[in-house]
Amino acid sequence: MRLQRLLIPLLVVGALGALLVFGLLRGAPDKDIESVYLGQSAPGFSMELYEPYHSEYGPTFDFAEYAGRPMVVNFWASWCLPCYQEAPVLQEYWRQYQDSGVLFVGIHTQNRDHHADGLTFLSQFGLSFPNGYDPSSEISIDWGLYGVPETFFVDADGRVILKHIGPVTPELMDQQLKAMLQ
Amino acid sequence: MTLTRRLRAPALLTLAVTLALALLGVWASAQEVQLETRVFEIARQLRCPTCVSESVSDSSAPIAQQMREIIQDQLVQGRSEAEILAYFQTRYGDWILLDPPKRGIHLVAWLLPIIVGVVAVSVVVLLARRWLTNSRRPVEATPEELARVRSELGLDPTQVDEPRTGRTD
Repeated sequence: MRLQRLLIPLLVVGALGALLVFGLLRGAPDKDIESVYLGQSAPGFSMELYEPYHSEYGPTFDFAEYAGRPMVVNFWASWCLPCYQEAPVLQEYWRQYQDSGVLFVGIHTQNRDHHADGLTFLSQFGLSFPNGYDPSSEISIDWGLYGVPETFFVDADGRVILKHIGPVTPELMDQQLKAMLQ
Repeated sequence: MTLTRRLRAPALLTLAVTLALALLGVWASAQEVQLETRVFEIARQLRCPTCVSESVSDSSAPIAQQMREIIQDQLVQGRSEAEILAYFQTRYGDWILLDPPKRGIHLVAWLLPIIVGVVAVSVVVLLARRWLTNSRRPVEATPEELARVRSELGLDPTQVDEPRTGRTD
């Protein structure tokens, strides 16, 4: 009888405790947020390119001009430490894959009035794929960006197949580029 | 006298223009304040994407500033609050809204507090009724128990009360 009276309060306390443990253990929720564009057409954009890329790609990069090519769209900022971590990885995979048809494009975002810092970052890592800037963060809002770095893998049909939050790794690049080029 | 008359008309005109300009300035300033208030009202409903538990209204992050600019531009273009919220929702999904939308699984967030409140009030009412009923129930005591109570109260334990029922208090 006594146990029966305690049963409901014990169940309620147990359920609340389990909820608390679940909340504490589930980690950063932002990592779980999927892009609304997953499986959908990537939003287009047009941006000014940094001067070193003008000779090869022109002063403006227009996403629509490269329709039909798989793309790796990487958002970065010169103040973002994980971006320094991933920049050499991106350059290495661009070097390996640039003749395969895939196009890498970098977007310096969320860094209004820091155009020069962007140039320093690019020259520090010798990034040879086209990089431009989004001073007003308009492109990053259009792409539903949460933070930097974030990388979108877009297939040849223009559909987003993956959004990766955080620095890219060689394993991820291997896996995604192979999938995109199949 | 003639000079005064001659000057009266230009002076009045200058005064009228000054007043009109002042009123226009006040009106423009009031419009600006009103627009800014509306921007922050809408921004308060949106989550800052790069922040932790902060609204677009509260954050000074570059992306939050840009989102406020977009809200302002869209308000100037005559878009409604619902249209502006939908603009961000199509880019970020429901996650961007600090208040979950009243549909689908999100209804749980709106209904659960109401359900829990109703259940809690019902439990309190039921318990209160049970306590009241119990407290009104006549106490049944054996003659030995009555004798013990009487002796503890300093009364004659052998005296027999008239049998009665009722509240114990």
